[in-house]
Amino acid sequence: MSQSAEPPLTDRTLAAPAQGQMAARAGEPRNYVGIVRVAVLVILAAVALTTPGFLSQPSILSLLTTVSFIGCVAVGMTLITISGNIMSFALGALVGATAMVFVLAANWGGFAFGLVAGLAFAAVTNALQGFLIGWLRANPIIVSIAALALIYGVAEAFAAHGTIYAATGTSYAGFKGKVAGIPVEFVVFLCVAAVAQFLLSLTTFGRNLFLVGSSFRAAEAIGVHTWRAVTGAYLWAGLFTAPAGIMLAIRYDAASMNYGLGYEYDAIAAVLVGGTVIKGGEGSVLRTLAGAIVIGVIQVVLVLQGLRTEWQYLIAGLIVLGVIALQTPGTRD
Amino acid sequence: MKRLRDDPHLRPLFVLAACAVGLALVDARDFLTVATAASSLETFATIGLVALGLGLTMMIREFDLSVVGMYSMAGCIAVVMGGTYAWLGLACALAAGLAAGLAQGWLIVRLRLGSVGVTLGGLLVFAGIAYVVTENRALPYENMEVALGLSAPVGGIFSVRSIVAIAIFAAAALVIGLTRYGRDIIAIGSDRRAAMTAGVNVDALVIGIFGFSGFCAALSGALLSYSLASASPAGLSDVIVPAAAAAILGGVSLAGGTGRPLGIAMGVLSLAVLRAGFNAVGAPPYVNEVAMGTILLLVAVLDSTYLARRLQGLVRRVH
Amino acid sequence: MDILTVEGLSKSFGAVRALRDVSLSLRAGEIRAICGENGAGKSTLVKSLMGIFTPDAGSIAIDGVHHTMRSPQQAQALGLGLVAQELSLAPRLSVLDNIWLGSADVPLFHRRRDLRRRARAALEILGAGEWDLDTPVSALSIGQQQLVEVARLLARDARILILDEPTATLTDTEIARILDVLKTLKARGHAILYISHRLGEVFDLCDTVTVLRNGEHVATRQVPDITREQLIELMLGRPFGDMYPAAAAGPDTGDALVVEGLNVAGSVQDLSLVAPRGKILCIAGQIGSGANVVTRALAGLVPGATGRVSVGDKPLRLGSVPHCVARDLLFLSEDRAAEGIFHQRSALENLLAANFSAHTHMGILDWPKLKRIGARLAQRVAIDPRRLAAAAGKLSGGNQQKLLFGRAIERPQPGVLLMNEPTRGIDVGARADIYRIMRELCAHGYALIMTSSDLEEVVGVADIVITMYRGRTVARYQRQSIAMARILADITHPVQAAA
Repeated sequence: MSQSAEPPLTDRTLAAPAQGQMAARAGEPRNYVGIVRVAVLVILAAVALTTPGFLSQPSILSLLTTVSFIGCVAVGMTLITISGNIMSFALGALVGATAMVFVLAANWGGFAFGLVAGLAFAAVTNALQGFLIGWLRANPIIVSIAALALIYGVAEAFAAHGTIYAATGTSYAGFKGKVAGIPVEFVVFLCVAAVAQFLLSLTTFGRNLFLVGSSFRAAEAIGVHTWRAVTGAYLWAGLFTAPAGIMLAIRYDAASMNYGLGYEYDAIAAVLVGGTVIKGGEGSVLRTLAGAIVIGVIQVVLVLQGLRTEWQYLIAGLIVLGVIALQTPGTRD
Repeated sequence: MKRLRDDPHLRPLFVLAACAVGLALVDARDFLTVATAASSLETFATIGLVALGLGLTMMIREFDLSVVGMYSMAGCIAVVMGGTYAWLGLACALAAGLAAGLAQGWLIVRLRLGSVGVTLGGLLVFAGIAYVVTENRALPYENMEVALGLSAPVGGIFSVRSIVAIAIFAAAALVIGLTRYGRDIIAIGSDRRAAMTAGVNVDALVIGIFGFSGFCAALSGALLSYSLASASPAGLSDVIVPAAAAAILGGVSLAGGTGRPLGIAMGVLSLAVLRAGFNAVGAPPYVNEVAMGTILLLVAVLDSTYLARRLQGLVRRVH
Repeated sequence: MDILTVEGLSKSFGAVRALRDVSLSLRAGEIRAICGENGAGKSTLVKSLMGIFTPDAGSIAIDGVHHTMRSPQQAQALGLGLVAQELSLAPRLSVLDNIWLGSADVPLFHRRRDLRRRARAALEILGAGEWDLDTPVSALSIGQQQLVEVARLLARDARILILDEPTATLTDTEIARILDVLKTLKARGHAILYISHRLGEVFDLCDTVTVLRNGEHVATRQVPDITREQLIELMLGRPFGDMYPAAAAGPDTGDALVVEGLNVAGSVQDLSLVAPRGKILCIAGQIGSGANVVTRALAGLVPGATGRVSVGDKPLRLGSVPHCVARDLLFLSEDRAAEGIFHQRSALENLLAANFSAHTHMGILDWPKLKRIGARLAQRVAIDPRRLAAAAGKLSGGNQQKLLFGRAIERPQPGVLLMNEPTRGIDVGARADIYRIMRELCAHGYALIMTSSDLEEVVGVADIVITMYRGRTVARYQRQSIAMARILADITHPVQAAA
C-alpha cells in the first residue's frame, strides 16, 4: 500500500554553484548490492553445476520449459510492477482459467479460435482490473486478490474442480516438441519477451508506463492519459500471461485450474531478482528474463537435490525478502 | 438514512442487517436457525481475528499480506508441538506469530521498507514453512479432547473459540477506545509525519501493530487447527478475501486513519452470516467464493481514491 | 547563561550540505529571527534542534548541558518545542487530544482531569481560555489551529519555542494576536526562534536576527543595528537589484489567456484575469488564499473547476489535463518532488516526458532524434548535457526545476506557462538562471502566470500582480504601481472583493 511520504526535502544548496553539477554519491549502498548479487549468482552457478544430473538433457529441457511458463507470467508481471502497481495476485489463476477457455473454445471451434478466445479472455479479464485500478485508483493489491477469488469461484461454478479435456482426436502435436532443438514453449516465451521489451523501450505507451510508475501525479500533471496507461499495462500483462496457460493446455491435452497455481509468486520473485524495483518506475523485460532463468535454475536444482515442490514457496519467500531488503536501503517510498 | 450511509462506523451495522434480512427472505426456515447462528460465530472466530489484525495495519496505512501465511504456519506449529500438551502447542504458535510479526515490523521501520514487499516475503516464507511441514496434506492432530472441547457449544451458539475471539475484540476495543494508543494510532494513520513531530513514538507503534497482527493470525490459525483436529495450508482467497472485505466494510479505509474494532467485528459478522446462510440454504460452495470476491471488489471500488471525482465528472458531462 | 547554545552544527543529505558549521546562542527572554532564502538551511537547523534529524557534527547544549538529540520526544522533554509551517495536528482528534498527542505525560488511560486543567491553562495564556476542548481541530480556522499548536508547547512546559513561518496563513488580526502572544511569552522568560520571510515582522518583534545562506551562518545582528536592505543583501549574497533581470519593454502582442468567473468550490470565487503575451503575471497570496488552486485549475488539474476560459480566442474546457496541454497550457507544480520530477528516470527522459509521441515513426520512438532534442533543451536551460543520463532524483533542486522548464518549452508554438512557487527551495545561482529563462520565454511570446509567497520575488519579477485573499481577487497592479506594502496589506486583510 502507499505509505504517507515524508515530505521531501526542499533543495539544499550545493557546495559549488557551478551549473549542472551533479551530486555524486560516494559509498552508495548500490555498489555493495551489486557485489552481493554477483556473489549470489556465482554461488548459484556453482551449486547448479555440481548437482548431479543438472547438465543432462532432460534436466536442461525441464529448465527451459519451467522458465518458459514462469517467464511468460513474469513478463506480464513486469509491466504491472513497472507501472507502479506492485503485483497482481490473479495472474496464476488467469493461467488456469485461460487454459480452460482455450480448451473449451478449441473443442468448439478449432485451434485458432481457441487461441483467440484464450488471449481475448485473458486480455479482457485483466483489462477490467486495470481499468478499476487506473481510472478509479482502486488499490491494486486488493483488486487483484478479489479477482483471484472471483476467477477461482467462477471456474469452480463451471468445472467444479474438474479437468476439461481436449476433444478426442485433437492433438496439438504440431505445437508440442521442439524447434531446432529448443522446446516450442521456450521459443514462444522468447517471442513474448521480445514483444514486451519492444513495447517498453520503443513505444510511447512503454515510456508512459515508466512515467506513471515513477510518479503518478507528475504523469497526470504533464497530460499523460494515466488511466489508459495502467489499463494498457494490465491488458498486455494478460496477453503475455495467456500463452503460459495455452501452452500448458497443449502440453497435457487438458486444462485444469491447478495450472498456474502459485505462479504469481515465482513470477514476482523473478521480476525482483532480475532487478526491477517493487515500487515501480524502472525495470526491463531483459532483467526479468534473467530473473526467470535464476528462478528456474533454483527450482530444477531443488528437484534434483530431492526436495519436493512444496519448498518452492519458502524459497521464493526467502528470495523476495532478501532482494527487497537489499533493494531500497534507507529510502522509504 | 443519510447518516447511516455516510458514517463509516454505522455502515457495518447496516450491512449486517441487510445481509440477515436478505438471507431470511431467501429461505427463512433454513436460515433462521440456531445452527446458522452457531456456524456464523464459528466463522467469526476464524476470520475475525485475522480481520482485526489486518484491519489495524490498514488503520496505520500499511497492509499485512502475511496473515495468511502466519495463519497456516501457526496451525502447523500448534499441531506439531501440541501433541501432549495443547497449551504448549498454542504457546509456541503464539510466540512464533508475535515474533514473526515484530520482525516484519522491525524490517519495515528500521530498514524503511514498504510493508507490501516485506509482508509479501513473509507470506511466502510462512506459507512455505506450512507447506513443507505438512507436505501439502493435512497434518492430523491426535488430541481429540481438545479438538472437541474447542468446538463444543457453550451457551447454545457460542464455543470456546468464538468466545476467545470476542474477548480479543473486546480487549482491542478497550485499548483503542480508552487508551492513548488509540489516539496515537489514528494520528499515525491520518498523518504520520505530523504524529512523529508531535512526539508520538511512531516506530514502536508500527512494530507493535505488526506484532499484534501476527499474534492474531497465529491465534486464529492455531485454534482452528485444534478444533478441526488437523492442520493444512490455507489458500490466500480463503482467508484474506473475507478478512480484508470485512475490515473495509467495517469502516477501515486503505488510506488509513479510520476504523474501530467494533466496526471490524460487525463487518466480519456480516460476512460470517452470509457464509452460514449460503450453507443453510444449500447453495454450492462456489457461491460463497464468488460472493466474497464480489464484495471485496465492491468495497475496493467504494474505497478508491478517484471515485468521487470520476462520478462528479460523469454527472457533469450528462448535464 | 544562554538557554540554548548550538556549536558547529553540520548536516548533509548525500552530497548536499544543508548545514555547515552553524553556531548560535540564545538567551531566555530573547526573540531571535532566523532569516534566509528557501534552501538556506533554516528548516534543517530547526529539525536538527528538534531531534527529527540527527546532525552529522556539532553540539547542542541546553542550559550549558550537551545533548544528542535523537527524537522529538527527547527534544520536548528538554524544553524545546516547534510549531512547524505544516501543522502537526491530527484533524479527527479534539483540541485536548491534540495538545497532548505524543506527550510522555499522558498515562495509559488518557482521560485525566489535570490534563484538561493544564490544557486550559495553556490556552488561557494565549487568550483562548474559553474554547471548547472537545471540538475536533478540523473545525477550527488555521489561525486557531496554530494557537492549539502553541498551546501544545506551553502545556509541555517548553522553554525554547521555535516557530517556522507562523504568519504565512493568517489574517492581519490573527497576526497581531500571535505577535502579542509571543511578546507575552518573551516577558515570561521563554526564548523564541522566529523563522520568517516577513521582514516587517522581524523588525517589529525580534531582538536579534541570524542570517543563514547556503547552509552557513552569515551574520547575527541586533535588529536595531541593521536596515531592511542590508538584511536582504545578507540573505541573497548579492545586491537586490542584480537578482531580477529587467523586463523587455516590448509592444503588447495580444492576450494569451482570458479567464472570467473562475470558481472552485471552497477555494476560488469568481476570479478573472487576463494574461498578455510576453509578460509575467504574478498571483500573490498566502497559503490558503487559493492562488495555487487558480493555476492548477487553469492547467486542468482541478476536476470541479468552472468558469469561462479562452486561449487565443477559443474556449478551453477545464478539468482535463491532456486537453489543456494540447492547447499549450503547461504547468509547473510547487511540489516538484511529488508532482514534477520523475526521480528514477534520467534527466533526458524528464526533459522529454511530455513529448515522446511527437517523435515517433509509425509508433516507434526515434531515439536518436529524441537525444538531439534533449541535448538542445538542456543547453537552453543551462544544464550540463553530460548529466542527461543521470537519474533526475540525484540532481540539485535548481537543476530539477530547470528540467521542468525545459520540459515545458519544447512546443511548436509559445503558450502559457503556469507555475506555482517556481523558485521554492532553490539556491541563489539557480534562481537567477530561472528568472533569466523566464524572461527569455517572455521574449519568445510565452505568457507566464506564476504564484509566489515570497513577496520580494513578486515585487522583483512581476509585470502584473494580482492579489488574492481567501479565494477572491483583491486588486490588480501593473508594473509601476507594484509595491510591497500594498501587496502585503492586500493578502492579509479581509477586504471586499475587487470589482
